[in-house]
Amino acid sequence: MARDRTVIVQASNLGFAYRPGQFAVRGLNFELYRGEVFGLLGRNGAGKTTTVRLLTTLLPPTEGGGTLFGKALASCGRAERARLGVVLQSESLDFVSVEENLRLYAFLWGVPREVAKSRSEEMLELFELGPMRARKPWALSGGERRRFQVARELMHDMELLFLDEPTVGLDALTRSRILDYLAERARRGLTIVFTTHILHEADRLCDRIGVMRDGRLLTIGSPAEIKRTYGRLRSVEVGFERELAEPEASELGALLAREGEEYSLLERRGDLLLFRAGNAESLVAEVVRWSAGRGIELERIAVSEATLEDAFVHLVSEARGPTVPLAGEGP
Amino acid sequence: MTLPPVVRLVVRNFRASIDPITLLVMFGQPAFLIVILGTMFNQLIPSVGASGSYVAFLVPGMIASQMITGAVLAGRIFWLDRRWSMVEQIFSGPFRRAEYLAALLLTTLLFALVGVGIMALVALPLAGLPRISGVELGIILATIALGATFFGGLLIAIGGRIRSANLYFTIQSLLQYFLIFISTVYYPVTAKTPLVLRAVVYANPLTYAANTVRDAFTHTFGPGDLTAGSVLAALAAVTFCLAILSFRRLEFGPVQ
Repeated sequence: MARDRTVIVQASNLGFAYRPGQFAVRGLNFELYRGEVFGLLGRNGAGKTTTVRLLTTLLPPTEGGGTLFGKALASCGRAERARLGVVLQSESLDFVSVEENLRLYAFLWGVPREVAKSRSEEMLELFELGPMRARKPWALSGGERRRFQVARELMHDMELLFLDEPTVGLDALTRSRILDYLAERARRGLTIVFTTHILHEADRLCDRIGVMRDGRLLTIGSPAEIKRTYGRLRSVEVGFERELAEPEASELGALLAREGEEYSLLERRGDLLLFRAGNAESLVAEVVRWSAGRGIELERIAVSEATLEDAFVHLVSEARGPTVPLAGEGP
Repeated sequence: MTLPPVVRLVVRNFRASIDPITLLVMFGQPAFLIVILGTMFNQLIPSVGASGSYVAFLVPGMIASQMITGAVLAGRIFWLDRRWSMVEQIFSGPFRRAEYLAALLLTTLLFALVGVGIMALVALPLAGLPRISGVELGIILATIALGATFFGGLLIAIGGRIRSANLYFTIQSLLQYFLIFISTVYYPVTAKTPLVLRAVVYANPLTYAANTVRDAFTHTFGPGDLTAGSVLAALAAVTFCLAILSFRRLEFGPVQ
């Protein structure tokens, strides 16, 4: 959905080496637009956190460069960072209660006292931290601490929010609430960059996704583009008029196996069979032919698109060359 | 109206790091030493040079040692900020590294000055009200400020380079005890002091600070104190530069 083509972040051959020749990230080229939710995916050590640190000016680029709000990364200072929100992967906290942490952080950012007071109440409620407002953050559970981290960052105003694995350790319900809130903030113009290992989360929230491996960006595109281009296995659900007898099921299985295609029977439940297939069309054709030959009526055939997880696994596990650009229309 | 960044950071340092137990340990211990050590040794030591009683000798020393108390607090704040990623969090916000460093040193100074006030109050019933002039008070405060910058800068420089909490706090404790005990805070250095000890004591910047504060108390401030002040200022400049260097090379990421 097109919203705004204002470029907020631009990376041009951006790279960082901890030591000469030892690159953590290299050759990053992309642009982020206002109001966009951009997901960075990759295995552990792929370079996601280093990328976040480069874009938040915590690390100076050692190669290439980029811009943040139109200003060169290397010369960004207080004015640009004042427009950022950053939830780090590592926990950061002060040695005071949860509520005091929120207020103190707002104070650090120069949020007026009255605004900080009402916003802290809003955040405590939104992130279900109210009952533990008087507790010290280190006395919270891992998931509660993560909620606290995100809540604290939202105490101040920002235009661009970086979230480095914000939902680690959160239960599904809390994750969903936080994602809904972030989606709403994005609709109101907040640009969000977030890294995650929970792929369906990225699929749900992101306008575009960048997949990294070994410090390089393999591809950028919308979740649909990435699934369409790199997803190989699709789910095929086949429903017969009756439950197949054991010999019939074996025969069908043997037939599909003989075809040499990448099929796998995931589940057999009554008259339903659920397959994963590299070539769903071929599998469907085989099943239709077989059922017609046996006189067994087919009641249902459903082919669903490849999952982002499948596309991701395919992308990062294969030895690929440099960046494979997709259309990457942006928001 | 929004306060300047350094002021906000100093306020945050105090609000986030000062709790009753910290205050008790940091100020209670030297206050306890003034009362107990001063009273007990007063019985054994009839007089110490120009100071007169041992308590009157001890109080300026304990006041000078507050620069270490302040520096230890700054080192602790910095270390905990690194341990709990607050340094990284703050640097990703609208603050410059120089402002964070300035706020740490200002916190050291303010904490040291609070300590000076507490020590003076504790000493009041034992040593009476010292009759010091405005100039002498200025000399005392300037000495404390230089000493706090020196020790604060030193601990920040060390804290910026060491990633192990055990190692950092061990170094800090050893340094603290070494500097306080091998100085003129508790006892004078005379011609009878063994030469090696005398050399070590005079290599310790705290000795110069303690002597200067003591001379201000006894109105015996002289050219030697001016030299001592200059040396302290030079050392403070060196450790300040080391702290800046350590900050510039600060690596982010978890510390243990």
